[in-house]
Amino acid sequence: MTHTTDNAWEHPEVQLAGGGYIVAFVVGLALMGLSLWMVRGHVFAPTGLAVAISALAAVAAFVQCVLLLHMTVSRTQVWQTVALVLFIPLFVITIGLTSWMFHGLYRRTMMMPATHVARPATPTRPRGA
Amino acid sequence: MSVTTSSTLDAKGSPMWSSGHGHDVISTKTLGFWLYMLSDAMMFTALFAAYAVLGHAFNAAGGPWVRAVAHAGVAFQETYWLFGSVLAYGLAMMALKKGNRGGVLLGIAAALVIALGFLAVDGREVLDLFRMGALPERSGFLSAFFTLVFYHGLHVVVGIAWMAVMLVQVASVGLTEKVVYRLLNLRLFWHFQAVMWVFMFTFLYLRGAIV
Repeated sequence: MTHTTDNAWEHPEVQLAGGGYIVAFVVGLALMGLSLWMVRGHVFAPTGLAVAISALAAVAAFVQCVLLLHMTVSRTQVWQTVALVLFIPLFVITIGLTSWMFHGLYRRTMMMPATHVARPATPTRPRGA
Repeated sequence: MSVTTSSTLDAKGSPMWSSGHGHDVISTKTLGFWLYMLSDAMMFTALFAAYAVLGHAFNAAGGPWVRAVAHAGVAFQETYWLFGSVLAYGLAMMALKKGNRGGVLLGIAAALVIALGFLAVDGREVLDLFRMGALPERSGFLSAFFTLVFYHGLHVVVGIAWMAVMLVQVASVGLTEKVVYRLLNLRLFWHFQAVMWVFMFTFLYLRGAIV
C-alpha cells in the first residue's frame, strides 16, 4: 500500500466522496419541505410546531454532517468528528442559556409590552381634583 | 501482552513514519481548516443567540416584526438553490476522486452558477424588505435579523469567489497536492453552509409563520 504524492486525488480524504451527496440533497430538501408544509398547514399548536421543526432541523443537520461532511469514526475522520462533537454543547448552551435567561428577564420586567406602546402617556386624573 | 505493547509503541513503526513523509499535508491542513470552520460556526452561534433575544415582539419597537419580514416560501426557494449548489460541488468532488479534471471544472462551474441563483433570490428579497421600510436600523429585532442574513450571504459571496479562483487553478495548474487540499477545504466550507442554512431556514424563516 504505497502512498503516492504524484496523484494527490488518491488521498483517502478525497476518496470519501460518493453518492451520499445525492442522498443528502434529497433528504435535506424533503425534510425542509416537510417543515414548510407543517408550518403552512398549522398541523400542530404553535409550541408543538416549534418542537417538530426543531427536531426535523436536527435530523437534517445530522444527515448532512454524516453524508456531506463525513463526520464518521473512521481513521481519517475521527478527529474532525471529535471536534464537532465537542462543539455541539457550546452551540446548544450558548443559544439555549442566552434565550432562557433573557426570556425569563422579559417575563419579569416587561409584563404588557403592547399596552406600554399603545397607551398614550397622559396620566388619568379624576375630574375635579 | 506487555511484550507486544512495547513493540507497538515504537514511533518509527507507526504508519505515519513508514508512509515516507513525516506528516500528511492534506490531512493536517483539512483538520486545521475544519477547526477554523467550527470557530466560524461559533460566530453563527452568537448571532443566533442575539436573534433569540432580540426576536421578542417588543424589540420590533412598533416596526415590522418577524411575520412581516421572514417569508418561508422565498426561504424555501433559497433552500433548493443552496442545496443544489452543494450537490453540484459534491459531484465535482466525485469527479476529483477519479482524477477527472474536466469533471471537476464542470461541477464547480455548475455550483458557482447555482450559488449565483441563491444570491439573486436572497438579494431581491432583502431589497424588497428595504423598500417596504424594514431597514436594519429600524429596530433591535431587524438589526439581529439582517445581521444573520448578511453574515450568511457574505459566506455565499466568499464561496463564489473561492470557486472562481479554484476554477482558474484547476484549469491552469491541474490537480496537484496544493490544489487538491484547497478543493477539500472549499468542500468543507461550502458543505458547512448547507448545515448552517438548515438552522437559518428553521429558526429565522419558519419561525415567522409560527408566532
